[in-house]
Amino acid sequence: MERPLSPFMFPVWYRFQITSALSILHRLTGIGLAVGSILLAWWLISVAAGGEWFEATHRFLASPIGIALLFFWSVAFFYHLCNGIRHLAWDAGYGFELGTAARSGYAVLTLTIVLTVLAWLYVFFA
Amino acid sequence: MTKSAVPSDTTALRDETMLRHVRQLGSARDGLSEWRLQRLTAIALIPLSLYFVASVLWLATSDRTTAAAWLSSPVTALLVMLFVLAGFAHALVGLRSVFLDYVHSRARLVAAGLLVRAAVVLLAGASLLAILKLFLGH
Repeated sequence: MERPLSPFMFPVWYRFQITSALSILHRLTGIGLAVGSILLAWWLISVAAGGEWFEATHRFLASPIGIALLFFWSVAFFYHLCNGIRHLAWDAGYGFELGTAARSGYAVLTLTIVLTVLAWLYVFFA
Repeated sequence: MTKSAVPSDTTALRDETMLRHVRQLGSARDGLSEWRLQRLTAIALIPLSLYFVASVLWLATSDRTTAAAWLSSPVTALLVMLFVLAGFAHALVGLRSVFLDYVHSRARLVAAGLLVRAAVVLLAGASLLAILKLFLGH
């Protein structure tokens, strides 16, 4: 039986909505964080190993590529955290009304930007 | 969506009640326990991940001795181990649900599932070993 599969739906049948866009972004940031967990494991191992391992890891993390990776990781983290809390509220039965769902979506985007900016201001100026 | 006196009645949070309704329509296999694991780890990860990220921000400009000393304290070691466990469990359930949506052949689904399980067990195991080494070596 030929049933419609999920990627088929998006470009043909759906127009842009903040709610569906954020839902896709939740998955993308989730996948990004899962891939980024390699870096987390690597950092923990390098602290335990010490010596040249740790020096090399910190040189990499402080390089432009390392900073860029950490920046994207931080955006993904704050977004997935804020939107995850929004999802948990839905799971408990709150905030399903269309207007509320759109407003909480914009709130999540705003909070993501604020938290990311605050985190990087702290790293560079504290 | 039907209105209910208790909002959570409309979701699977009340899983004992919901399961009775679902059974009429057939088995959802392990869907419900995976759903619960994803939410439980999500709730645990709110404080755990915030603690980890705040600590890493504080450590960002420090050297290895500070990072090693941080991980050698029992409270830190415990919280970071729980963060690693909850984080990788959450990632595994999440990645599996993505595969279920986008991998359309049984063989590829099983292969992708095995591969991501192997990667998660390896990364989580290595992370826990690193934390234990720092904690016990102090």
